[in-house]
Amino acid sequence: MDSSERPMRIGVYICHCGLNIAATLDVEELRRFAETLPNVVVARDIQFTCSDAGQNTIKSDIAELKLDAVVVAACSPRLHEPTFRRTITEAGLNQYMLEMANIREQCSWVHMESPALATQKAKDLISMAVAKASLLRPLETESIPVSRDVLVIGGGVAGISAALDLANAGLRVYLVERRPTIGGYMALLTDVFPTNDCSICVLAPKMAEVYANPMIRLMTYSEILAIEGTVGHFRVTGVTKPRYVDPTLCKGCINECSGACPVEVPNEYDFGLGKRKAIYMAIPQSVPLVACIDTNACIGCGLCAEACPADAVKYDQQPEEFKLDVGAIIVATGWQPFDASRKEEYGFGRYRDVVTTLQIERMLNAAGPTRGEIVRPSTGEIARSVAFIQCVGSRDHTVGNPYCSRICCMASLKNAQLIKERYPDADVSIHYIDIRAGGEGYEEFYLRAQRLGINFIRGRVSSVEEGDDGLYIHYEDTFLGKTIMKRYDLVVLSIGLEANRDAEVVGNLLGLSRRPDRFFEIAHPKMRPVEAHIDGVFIAGCASGPKEIQVSIAQGSAAASKAMQLLFKGEIELDPTVAFVDREKCIGCKLCVDTCPSRAISVKDTAFVDEARCKGCGTCAAACPVDAIEMRLFSDEQILAQIRAATAVKGEYPFIVGFLCNWCSYAGADLAGTSRIQYPTNIRIIRVMCAGRVDPSFVLEALRRGADGVLIAGCRIGECHYVKGNLHALQRVEVLRGLLREIGIDPRRLKIAWCAASEGDVLARKIEEFVEELRDLGPVGTELAAALPSGKV
Amino acid sequence: MSEVAFTEEVIRLAGDEIRTCIQCGTCSSSCSTAHLMDNSIRKLVHLVLEGRKSEALASESIWLCTSCLLCTVRCPRGIRPKAVISALRQICEREGSVSRDASFEKIFMDQIRSRGRISEVLLSAAYALRNPDAAVPIMEMGIELLSRGKVSLNAGVVKGMDEIERIFRELGND
Repeated sequence: MDSSERPMRIGVYICHCGLNIAATLDVEELRRFAETLPNVVVARDIQFTCSDAGQNTIKSDIAELKLDAVVVAACSPRLHEPTFRRTITEAGLNQYMLEMANIREQCSWVHMESPALATQKAKDLISMAVAKASLLRPLETESIPVSRDVLVIGGGVAGISAALDLANAGLRVYLVERRPTIGGYMALLTDVFPTNDCSICVLAPKMAEVYANPMIRLMTYSEILAIEGTVGHFRVTGVTKPRYVDPTLCKGCINECSGACPVEVPNEYDFGLGKRKAIYMAIPQSVPLVACIDTNACIGCGLCAEACPADAVKYDQQPEEFKLDVGAIIVATGWQPFDASRKEEYGFGRYRDVVTTLQIERMLNAAGPTRGEIVRPSTGEIARSVAFIQCVGSRDHTVGNPYCSRICCMASLKNAQLIKERYPDADVSIHYIDIRAGGEGYEEFYLRAQRLGINFIRGRVSSVEEGDDGLYIHYEDTFLGKTIMKRYDLVVLSIGLEANRDAEVVGNLLGLSRRPDRFFEIAHPKMRPVEAHIDGVFIAGCASGPKEIQVSIAQGSAAASKAMQLLFKGEIELDPTVAFVDREKCIGCKLCVDTCPSRAISVKDTAFVDEARCKGCGTCAAACPVDAIEMRLFSDEQILAQIRAATAVKGEYPFIVGFLCNWCSYAGADLAGTSRIQYPTNIRIIRVMCAGRVDPSFVLEALRRGADGVLIAGCRIGECHYVKGNLHALQRVEVLRGLLREIGIDPRRLKIAWCAASEGDVLARKIEEFVEELRDLGPVGTELAAALPSGKV
Repeated sequence: MSEVAFTEEVIRLAGDEIRTCIQCGTCSSSCSTAHLMDNSIRKLVHLVLEGRKSEALASESIWLCTSCLLCTVRCPRGIRPKAVISALRQICEREGSVSRDASFEKIFMDQIRSRGRISEVLLSAAYALRNPDAAVPIMEMGIELLSRGKVSLNAGVVKGMDEIERIFRELGND
């Protein structure tokens, strides 16, 4: 605070919480103690501070006593901080002029058997809160105008679903698709489970809707080249590749031009089973219905241009760059099929009658290369016996895909049913490890397959061999315990889903993280299924892992609704509790850039924090070697003031200062309280947003001020809410320990622990252990005294 | 050794991945001697995990493995089924519960330890002396091979025998 201003006026409110606090702590003594603290103009004890009466007391004090800041000593801020922020806002204070002392979950409930020591601890907690409150500043929530347009990357069923929902809600959508048509893999499938609807029959109307919707600008055969900016304003550059066919002139008749084309190549839309021409239409239902010339195949003979009745073929077409300004991005980049030839023992690519799920889908499709007939590619004859081999490229350590691809069981159940329905005499077997039919109507679908007479054989096929008269597969029937070799006409490899390699570029441009299985990682594996780590970016469909169609559609809609929520008002509020850079101090070393999990920091000459991206973890502030980065809340001076207040009295030994991360450890400490798990009173806990926030200077200050030990606790490894903050903390602790050793302090005085929000007992035990360890070490400085030759201090 | 201790011992010797077995049968259907086995290698792994020690150790299958390692190459869980077999063999030997004649393996390993390599002549001779019944039927072939110079009579010793001895000691053979 500037010296020109009048001293801060703080009100302290100590809650009885009925008997929850008052039964253990001497509330009257706490109140009298609070009155003596600097800047405190009023201290009251209230039965239930969160009640209307309690809140009204605070409000009238703010008005009558002209309070600048309020300290509520009550329950955890994780419970009632929002309540009291509202209270003081209603009385005209800035919402950030509040600090809470957690004297219930982290004091009265966990020290029920030592009221005197607990009361002393509560005094420290209140004094720490007042010290921080004296340094609070009003923070204004800034709103920035945003673009209400949304970019959807990927025109498969997830992207289509997202685009339609957004457009129907009145937002402008840019739908970018790499291929010449939208529809994705779903457009190529035959019937789909569990209803056996014809896939394209249910999808084509949606594709047409996308084309017709005036709010959607469809950009097929296009790719994203660059993405800059942040939530609200992503500046996107892309390119539309030349089709060499004018989309405004092409009538989509296709037979004229491709009939004239002399070049035939394997059709990638039939997965190599059929052929297409160099000028082609991906599927009959293509959207847009415009031909495309494959330049890798075209020999430039000019016959198609002559044949085209609309003069649509344009050999001089150029790539067209486009630039977009969008508020949000939905990544729906889908998947790629596992390359079956990698499982050499199954002979795909060597034996013609070994095919994949996608090829059998095309065979079963009435518009496919065999017009719906199931034939042996080697002879063209109808296949009388068909074996499905499950888990090809899924649940398989040897190819680096330990995950279950989730849809293949159902896909094979469906394809086996279709074959059995068309050829009732055919011998159809599914060789499986486990049948996974978890979903609405799925188990019933499995039952139906069993009733149709499909054979289910439990045992993974180890190899396929080609004989003179067909394919021989080797497996152990694990129920019989017998190894068996059996002949089939056709073998279908039920290939798994892999992360789309072509989407890596987009992922890198956006800074998306990927899981070990290579799919894009979502913000929380359970609670935030369509959000990316980056604000304003959402992920839908198979981009974040294998999913069936209905889930992809649901995720497309979910991502659309998240984007709408974000952009509908046309402006977004920026959380002011972020980092900022003192440009005078910054030396441009870029250490902060790599520590930031949100890619919010960029460095030109000096560092700059994009406040729209910053999530306020504070890891950068702790990493900055010249203290040029500061947090607007949880600032260095506020935390140092808390440390000094905590160590002012040192009412017990050993004395521990703890830094607990808001999301896991602090929540875990709260849980220890609600579970009434008792632990020693020796710790004074300071709440930080992330373990990564703990600056080495905090630890040194605590030890210098006489704390016997410092505990840093964060989320368990891999569970950090800021991705890697806990790892940064760990790294810093290791360096700090070396430093302590050098200055003669026992490095065991600094402890780091991981604790989930559900692990109150773990945290309590860690504190207990630490107290014991510190008891063995003696008070801080013992080791320095011992190091002196005379043994004197 | 209790049932639990048996399971733990096999896991110690053959790797922790065993616990992740899904009993898919890839190992046994890849196995070139599966048709001769009483318990398939898949079932052996199950017996180990269930702690069914006597059944596992009594199984003839343990001695039929040719160490081709196809099971290990193909296992989708990264388990080494061959290592399970080796572990079971080791435990059998340690406990003296080898149900069959293991004299061949013993002679084989003794030669490796004393020479660092195998001498076909010495190996067959030593085996024939211990098992005359087994030796007689193949004696004729031996003589013919010898007469055509297909068998070397030179029984050398490799360099670095101290290394060989060290390996044996490290593997716990004193």
